[in-house]
Amino acid sequence: MPRTALLALIAVCGGLGLASGGLGFATAWAAEPASPTAAASAANPPAQGSAVASTAPPNTSPAAAQKIDFVRDVQPLLKQHCYECHAGKKHEGGLQWDQRASVLKGGDSGKPVLVAGDPEKSLVVRLVRRVGDDAMPPDGEGTPVPAAGVAILTRWIAEGAQWPDAAAGEPLKPKHWAFIPPVRPALPIVKQADWPRDPMDKFVLARLEKEGLRPSPEADRYTLARRVYLDLIGIPPTPAEVDAFVHDSRPDAYERLVDQLLASPHYGERWARMWLDLARYADTQGYEKDNRRTIWRYRDWVIDAFNRDLPYDRFTIEQIAGDLLPSATMEQMIATAFHRNTMTNTEGGTDDEEFRTAAVVDRTNTTGQVWMGLTVGCAQCHSHKYDPITQRDYYRLFAMLNQTEDSDKDDERPTLPTPLGDSSPEVAKLNADIVAEQLKLTQDTPQIRAGQTAWEKHLLELSDKAAPEFGPWHVIGPFPAANLTAAHTTAFPPEQKIDLKANYEKGKLKWISRPEWKDAQSQLLSKASGAWYLTRTIEAPSAMLIQLSLGSGHGIKLAVNNQLLLDHQIVRPAAPNQEYVTARLQPGTNVLLMKISHSGNDEAEFFFRADQTGLPPELSAAIRIAPERRTTRQNRELARYYRQVAPELEPVQLRIAQLMQEKATFLAAHAPTTPIMRELPPDKQRKTNVLIRGNFLSKGAEVQPGVPEAFPPLPSGAPANRLGLAMWLVARDNPLTARVLVNRFWEQLFGTGLVMTAENFGTQGTLPSHPELLDYMAVETMDQGWSMKKLLRRLVLSATYRQSSRVTPELLSRDRDNRLLARGPRFRLEAEMVRDQALAASGLLSGKMFGASVMPPQPEGVWQVVYNNNERWQTSAGEDRYRRGLYTFWRRTSPYPSMMAFDAVSREVCTVRRIRTNTPLAALVTLNDPVYIESAQALARMAIRDGGSTPADRVTFAFRRCLVRPPRPEEVKRLVDLYQTQLQQYRTDIEAAKKLIANGGALPPGTDAAEMAAWTVVGNVIMNLDEMLSKT
Amino acid sequence: MNHRLAQLQHATRRHFLQQSIGGVGAMALAALLEQGGNPRMARADQLAPHAAANPQTPRPPHYPARAKHVIYLHMAGSPPQQDLFDYKPKLAELNNKDCPEKYLKGERFAFIKGKPQLLGSPHKFAQHGQSGQWMSSMLPHLSTVADDLCVIRSMHTDQFNHAPGQLLLHTGAAQFGKPSIGSWVTYGLGSENQDLPGFVVLVSGDKTPDAGKSVWGSGYLPSVFQGVQCRTTGDPVLYVTDPPGMDRHVRRQSLDALRDLNEMQLSDFGDPETVTRIAQYELAYRMQVSVPQVMDISKEDARTHAMYGSEPGKTSFANNCLLARRLVEQGVRYVQLFDWGWDVHGESAATDLLHALPNKCKQTDQPITALIKDLKQRGLLEDTLICWSGEFGRTPMNEKRNNSKFLGRDHHPHAFTVWMAGGGVKAGLSYGATDELGYHATEDRMHVHDLQATILHIMGLDPFKFGYAYQGLNQRLIGPTSEPKLHPKMLG
Repeated sequence: MPRTALLALIAVCGGLGLASGGLGFATAWAAEPASPTAAASAANPPAQGSAVASTAPPNTSPAAAQKIDFVRDVQPLLKQHCYECHAGKKHEGGLQWDQRASVLKGGDSGKPVLVAGDPEKSLVVRLVRRVGDDAMPPDGEGTPVPAAGVAILTRWIAEGAQWPDAAAGEPLKPKHWAFIPPVRPALPIVKQADWPRDPMDKFVLARLEKEGLRPSPEADRYTLARRVYLDLIGIPPTPAEVDAFVHDSRPDAYERLVDQLLASPHYGERWARMWLDLARYADTQGYEKDNRRTIWRYRDWVIDAFNRDLPYDRFTIEQIAGDLLPSATMEQMIATAFHRNTMTNTEGGTDDEEFRTAAVVDRTNTTGQVWMGLTVGCAQCHSHKYDPITQRDYYRLFAMLNQTEDSDKDDERPTLPTPLGDSSPEVAKLNADIVAEQLKLTQDTPQIRAGQTAWEKHLLELSDKAAPEFGPWHVIGPFPAANLTAAHTTAFPPEQKIDLKANYEKGKLKWISRPEWKDAQSQLLSKASGAWYLTRTIEAPSAMLIQLSLGSGHGIKLAVNNQLLLDHQIVRPAAPNQEYVTARLQPGTNVLLMKISHSGNDEAEFFFRADQTGLPPELSAAIRIAPERRTTRQNRELARYYRQVAPELEPVQLRIAQLMQEKATFLAAHAPTTPIMRELPPDKQRKTNVLIRGNFLSKGAEVQPGVPEAFPPLPSGAPANRLGLAMWLVARDNPLTARVLVNRFWEQLFGTGLVMTAENFGTQGTLPSHPELLDYMAVETMDQGWSMKKLLRRLVLSATYRQSSRVTPELLSRDRDNRLLARGPRFRLEAEMVRDQALAASGLLSGKMFGASVMPPQPEGVWQVVYNNNERWQTSAGEDRYRRGLYTFWRRTSPYPSMMAFDAVSREVCTVRRIRTNTPLAALVTLNDPVYIESAQALARMAIRDGGSTPADRVTFAFRRCLVRPPRPEEVKRLVDLYQTQLQQYRTDIEAAKKLIANGGALPPGTDAAEMAAWTVVGNVIMNLDEMLSKT
Repeated sequence: MNHRLAQLQHATRRHFLQQSIGGVGAMALAALLEQGGNPRMARADQLAPHAAANPQTPRPPHYPARAKHVIYLHMAGSPPQQDLFDYKPKLAELNNKDCPEKYLKGERFAFIKGKPQLLGSPHKFAQHGQSGQWMSSMLPHLSTVADDLCVIRSMHTDQFNHAPGQLLLHTGAAQFGKPSIGSWVTYGLGSENQDLPGFVVLVSGDKTPDAGKSVWGSGYLPSVFQGVQCRTTGDPVLYVTDPPGMDRHVRRQSLDALRDLNEMQLSDFGDPETVTRIAQYELAYRMQVSVPQVMDISKEDARTHAMYGSEPGKTSFANNCLLARRLVEQGVRYVQLFDWGWDVHGESAATDLLHALPNKCKQTDQPITALIKDLKQRGLLEDTLICWSGEFGRTPMNEKRNNSKFLGRDHHPHAFTVWMAGGGVKAGLSYGATDELGYHATEDRMHVHDLQATILHIMGLDPFKFGYAYQGLNQRLIGPTSEPKLHPKMLG
């Protein structure tokens, strides 16, 4: 989509400014009703206690003649029996009994709750009478309405259900701070006016001054450099890089460093890592079988999007609805894989619709979590207890995401071929070679001419015996396979050699003869999943072409005389004429081999018919005419036909087939197919119903796509589909999106968000520590065109960020969590950074970007999965062993263990915030994992080679590779002591030394094994320092 | 040690004591006092970034516990209750008859298609012990301890596919992302051995459970409470072994250097996390010895091995049962065993009732019985709750997939059998019942959430109050509804 058009879309969204609410944060919070404590369980709702006891019993028996009065007679009943779940903040089932409008509209069930004048049609009467399966209040909750109360309610409705305006209640309005769009706050006045570097610093300083605290001094340049390198590109600076910065005396040296890092391609890698947790990106499908999924093109899209600073609004629109943009590019289609990262269940016997629904639920919940910081998921089963999202709202959102083609199919369709290399030199060369070979087929040599003459003579002699004869079918199968792709692509033994006497799978599979199978009708194989092979011979009296019409459910391959003629992996029921193949037969016996691969619950079958067996009629006629009397056309067609079957040209044919295969292989390897979102055509769109208690089989009222009513409506002109949803998320009046974004970046840099519960901005989330600061940055971010690089640049250039993270016991006891920001951030690095940093410091890290995920070493036996022992961890070779953590193959049921010890997440569902733990299991990783031992060895070798000659110099060198700053003398001394002790010990036990340095490459010249081993121990210690594992 | 360090260590210790004094409630309270936050909402999650010096320190329960340890024996794939515990003569009588229509209306099955036939158990049943528990002839060993078992025949669940079924059983929800019960228990109570993980997982049958490691994951709880899979081949815990060429002496010296340097960092920066890090490295060092020791069964005497049928050096369910006893003996809080191979669909002899099932029973019957007897003779059974189950039940009908001639049963959520033994449950009790065909649990129906509530209750944790604030909600193992309940009749 052209940028102008997109801007127009966004401009539409921005056109609707919502009048700013004047409510202050404190007021909004104070107005919240008390939340339940952990101790007040849902099983034991807070007793109504004295409030109820002291309430006079409702007027139980108004005189028969007296008309029922709502306020006097009905409302007390409602208060006692209904309000607990259906009033104030509570709106179970989308119904609020303190609001007339809500009752008249009805709840999520879609049935009329109250029909004035007709108690029998009013759901409420049926429920309080407790006659059917459902009753209100539900069994075990609250107290049933007594008979007298039921009578009052019934009479009131019969009398017309008069509900005076004065008691009609307020419509539900979002008053919670986060539901009011942010407005630019005034900058506070501060005393220490020379401290702020950015207006945002004033908010921090104002708060500190109010608390009687002072900001910490700026961190030294070494610390600052390591901090900002890790934050912006995820790897530490080399000593040379940091020295250049430390000695840069220009006033804007730090700004220059920040700009240089933001321009680095590694910037995208570091920030994509964060986004991939939100996108629940993984290399497998999840659930029981957890098969592979090829979706890494999406990961690469995210890296690239960060690197080119795709503004967050476009970043949003392309991921949620890239396919709905006019003339969507391949890149925009790949972006939609964001929501194809949901899990796919390929376990036998599962209902695709159940798990398709589960995927749409996940997309709805993830969208709420990622963009709005809301736990909309609660409303899947019941209206949200605390936030203004009814169950109906939930399914309106759900409806917008419910119109895509994907439906939990094993093969992940719809997918898009996403080639990388179709214009590459490799393909161009193959194309040229193919053309050169094809030209040989048109050549006219005496040898070929003689061959043709003999062939024609032979055909004339054969006369009506010219048709080929098909032998009976032999079939074997199914060879078991995890899914269709595995069945289709695995070369089971018959694919290598057809041996009708052989048996496979411990004797379970044998060739069976099927002489009764007739051509030109569908043949059923069985319902089981796997791969079948079918073979038959074809006796050809002469060289000829035959045409075959084939059908298959599902995948099909066909080879004649070992030449692959057809290869189509597809899911469909078999039917005639799905595939046409022309095959060349040699005189004598030809062998045909067909493979049908199948997965799923329907039937594996195939269709086979030979259409053209022998010469086409016009050529049959032509050979009966002497060559010199034929027309030019007849001669030309005969020559062309002969060259297709000529034995003289067989080598050329084989060469062409081989080149075609090479090209297909190359393109497949460089053109993965990526699962994408694709909207159903208008006539196939699904109806969406409220799902009672979230169960996909219990459908309630039908709903139309839309956004929660308590929030601004869809921007005018925005369609009620995914595109409209995306536009609504990034509309200027969406109160949450920009705040959530700013908070997320803040959390990445400072360790805790301004809103600590980054996953929940709702009424149950924590209040922001600096509300005006959050709003200021949210407004600024939108004003600056949603640029994420600009946002980060401001944050890392701020005085707040540059503070030292040293803390005094006094400040610690005052503000343990650093919510006041009187110091800089200090916290443990995330899993991927722990790995990347060790590899970078030891010089092992590969700078290679993008591509299929890799398998660095992991312990044996970690991958053991039910039903799917075909999948093996195949340790990558060469530089792929040392790629950055985000390229590691991520299997949801068995993620890379060393990163899991550092709190990486399984990516089964969206994770907004990783918890940071400090455990012995993590210590064991950096102490003993071979990856870290190898890093220590490499660091040791580098220290010996490049670190100078004295132990102190080498310690300093290794220390700076890891921690960036120069070590203090006492640190050098302690490490040199360690080195000397180890050296002595390893000198006495050289065998142990050799073991420790094994696989570490050749010894540096002039070094013995004991020295190398001692330095390896030193390296291992440095790499386990608390400072190494932390950002300081 | 300098003054600053001493001060910090004191602060950390005090902080931790605040958390531990009153158990979980006090933990939350300490968090509140510290946060000065909304006192109606316990924010235990805010503690996570500052996991105390040792989050595994034992914490008192909400009320007196009836057991201190749990051993959960999960027969992954789900055994057929009709062939082991739920004796149904009527089903045998109606063998091969069409399943009555009333059962099938609106039903969905994983594999059964069309009109299925009833399948009486091909195995013999008898009553055992004083209590007269009905058990099949495939359990000759277990039937000798029938009077120690509390057999619940009225279990039911919501799920009939393996992965969601296992998740619901162990995490209280069929979706991914929730903490497992072992994590909840160790989060609530800590553990009694500080040199071993508090929640240990042992897997046999060659495969991990269908739902993967999520069934022992910690979800939103701090990951220090996730189950630690101990393996019987390779490193018993991943990365527990020092690298080749580095002996304990070298490791000790390098950890001493590490500690000295970390203390320098601590006095410079003053971050209490550094104190914790030093402690965790020391714990790791001790675990490097204690874990391989507890996992080494070669020193057990021949009589014990004969009793369990265990063989050092192998991966087997029998070995895992013996390990479960050793772990509990060492004070480990929660031991989770998974044994794959019970998914008896009857597609072939490898999954049928006449070959595969007797074979699985043979692998497990003796070691389970040995575990009960062994714990009993060591006086550990009264402090240990043993729980045996699949993730759901199996159909009273023959599955007959692709007209298979082998007898098998499909997945079935409406009825299955669980048994418990040891602390907190009534020994020798038959609890609950199914209808005459064993299709639906009818008497004293017990949902999976009830089972979880029971386990927490026996451990002294109030299942209805025990929660964790996450995403603005008080999350509970037993889910948000008011349906789960305890079953007083089966509690000892």
